[in-house]
Amino acid sequence: MIPSLIRDLFKIKKLDISIAIFVAITLAGIIGPILYPVDPTTIVGPAEHRPSTRYPLGTDSWGRDLLAQLLHGIRNSLGVGITAASIALAIGVTVGVVSGFKSGLIDSFLMLITEIILILPSILLMILIAAYLKERSPFLVSLVIGVTSWPWVARAVRSQILSLKTREFIDMSRMAGLSDLRIMFEDLIPNMASYIFMAFVLLMSGAMIAEAGLSMIGLGVTRGVSLGIILYWAQLLEAVRRGLWWWFIPPGACLVLLATSLLLLSTALDEYFSPRLRGG
Amino acid sequence: MDNVSFKVKEGEFISLVGESGSGKTTTSRMILRLLKPTSGSIKFQGRDIWSLKDIKDLRWYWKNVHGIFQDPFASYNPLYKVDRIIYQVFTLLGDVDADKSSLVKEALKEVGLKPEEVLGRYPHELSGGQRQRIMIARCYLLKPKLILADEPVSMIDASTRVGILKLFSNLRDNYGTSVIFITHDLGLAYYVSDRILVMYKGSIVEEGTPENIMENPRHPYTRRLREDVPLLYRRWSDF
Amino acid sequence: MALLEAEHVKAYYLVREGYVKAVDGVSLSVERGVILGLAGESGCGKSTLMNALMMNIRPPLRLLSGSIILDNRRISDMQRDKIRKEVWGVLVSLVPQSALNALMPTKKIIDFVKDVFRHHSGLSEFDIASLAKKRFEELNLPTEALSLYPHELSGGMRQRVVIAISTLLNPKLLIVDEPTSALDVSTQKQVLKLLVELRRAKIIESMIFVTHDLAVLRQIADVIAIMYAGKIVEYSSTDNILFKPKHPYTYGLVNAVLTPEPEVRRREVTPIAGEPPNLLSPPSGCRFHPRCPFTIPICREVEPPLIDSEDGWKVACHLVTSERIR
Repeated sequence: MIPSLIRDLFKIKKLDISIAIFVAITLAGIIGPILYPVDPTTIVGPAEHRPSTRYPLGTDSWGRDLLAQLLHGIRNSLGVGITAASIALAIGVTVGVVSGFKSGLIDSFLMLITEIILILPSILLMILIAAYLKERSPFLVSLVIGVTSWPWVARAVRSQILSLKTREFIDMSRMAGLSDLRIMFEDLIPNMASYIFMAFVLLMSGAMIAEAGLSMIGLGVTRGVSLGIILYWAQLLEAVRRGLWWWFIPPGACLVLLATSLLLLSTALDEYFSPRLRGG
Repeated sequence: MDNVSFKVKEGEFISLVGESGSGKTTTSRMILRLLKPTSGSIKFQGRDIWSLKDIKDLRWYWKNVHGIFQDPFASYNPLYKVDRIIYQVFTLLGDVDADKSSLVKEALKEVGLKPEEVLGRYPHELSGGQRQRIMIARCYLLKPKLILADEPVSMIDASTRVGILKLFSNLRDNYGTSVIFITHDLGLAYYVSDRILVMYKGSIVEEGTPENIMENPRHPYTRRLREDVPLLYRRWSDF
Repeated sequence: MALLEAEHVKAYYLVREGYVKAVDGVSLSVERGVILGLAGESGCGKSTLMNALMMNIRPPLRLLSGSIILDNRRISDMQRDKIRKEVWGVLVSLVPQSALNALMPTKKIIDFVKDVFRHHSGLSEFDIASLAKKRFEELNLPTEALSLYPHELSGGMRQRVVIAISTLLNPKLLIVDEPTSALDVSTQKQVLKLLVELRRAKIIESMIFVTHDLAVLRQIADVIAIMYAGKIVEYSSTDNILFKPKHPYTYGLVNAVLTPEPEVRRREVTPIAGEPPNLLSPPSGCRFHPRCPFTIPICREVEPPLIDSEDGWKVACHLVTSERIR
């Protein structure tokens, strides 16, 4: 099933491009720092040096290597993206499945919580929580983002469950005496696998942008580099006004490319899965 | 559904005949304990089925009362092989002496299927008739006291229908299983039932043996049904 | 001369794996004033045959060979444009299985009628409307239905409305494909009454009624053709087919009919073993031979031709042809 999925996916053109971009940047983030073992936070040369053979992407106002920052930044941004998306997915899917399948009081209660978090502006929530924490590790930042971005997933999963649970094969499993938990895991969730995957892609895209947003107002990770942190420093030292393009364009471009390629991927997946789902 | 009451005896084969909207599907889901009635009670062997709450009790119920639905495709989870739909019910049977796979093969043979041809396949690889037979094999494994079959052959080709109908009669003849057969097709009900209950707009309007229903229908709806059913040996007089 | 004379029609679907031989050398004639019942199970090619007979052929369907003569005109040679203008609706009309879906949900019935016949016969909108109104009255259909939307009509009424509209220009031949399968018996009878009335009132001359329900054919068909795996296997009067079938498949099909009658209950009703074949690669020789309890060696090798067994009674079976007694 997986190999044929990959084969069919490649028939959709925009998928080729989006996957290519995403994979290219991701590889840069994973292998880059190994091939280019420069520490992103130590001073290695003159400040604000333009890109040259010694410093391929130049240096920042402290004389630190910007290519190293970019490569480490990609790695960390992706890391936060994946972690935050996983957290949000786990919460959202659990709430959605339990709520949709159990209905009644549990459903009403869970949906109430979902609504509350949905209504509260997530940015505000994130800022409040992040500002409160003195030490912000990448995991904590991921947690903050994850815990504030799951509601839409819960809602969407719930409506999928509501329609799935009327299907006769659910009745057959019930009559076979399977417990609710088993039905949720064996019958419901696998039938939503494609949807869950798409939700993950979207969550990841959103999470990376959220991380960048938090970083740019100084509430990102307290140690280490991420794409958002690079932009934060660039903005702090007025890189745009002073024309230090090598500082802010690479990280900005990478961020945009990563987020966009993921969005494109999700629309291509939607195209791929929808007719299949209808065909049954 | 409005004030429906009826009893089914052990080893009896009854049919609920009605058009769409007559309330027959609602009835079947209630009997299978999948839908709760607004009022009234459903008793199996003297016990009210909605008083059963513990999962052990529920499993006892479904071991004895089981159902088959109309759409042979929708009854399967498309992601799993068809084996799952039969093996699932071992949850209801508890500890079993014999080897599970030989019990399954036995059941498949009893419904006229060759185990090698259907086991290990996905639902979309088999025909509607085969899928429906596997559902019935599931019942043969359980040997329940009561089977509820909701339009089990309406999506099957006419020439294979009879074969599947006979499987239900065999369950009754060989194992004393009672059958509640739900259909809109009077011909099917006539062929297999001991008793026919005619449903119209949520109520039972007439009850009787197949012969009574066709020879002396009393309710106007039953009369109309009899007039309008196309027959093979008689021509419509008003045509 | 028969109203419709089709000879050796071959219509295949071109798919990735090859040709699906849905109609594989079918010869059929429909006499004037006759209701012909075409019976067969799902997948036997009956809907494809109907489309082929009225030259409604679009890819992936292709007409490979055969001649179709309707009302003395060789329509199998005509261009699609000419057919659309001069044949469809005028000489022959098809009410497909999904007729109810053919009605646009956002248009009133009368607007639908106007759309359909706008490009047709040179009649003005006003003429069409009054023609529709008169026809509805003639057929005892409520004229109010014309100003309603499809969802405001019951299933049975919609079906009758579609039939009435299809025959507005008095086509000689009406083809109906499973017109009553989704209806309850009382509604079905109403629709059948309408169809029979069309012939009585000479709005149509002949009709082909496609179905799998033999009991319905008993009530309205004069002759029956049995189709199996893309071929016609038997053709004769309704009484002959239903009470003295010669072809083993016909026999099996008739034997599987279940009507609420004591004769049926007494009879040993036996199903036909096996499944209909895959039309991409049908069996060799007689297509029914894998499921036939009466095969003789030649059945596996040679396809039996559809030939006269008795006066006008056609059967495609080696056993019948060799015995000539049944």
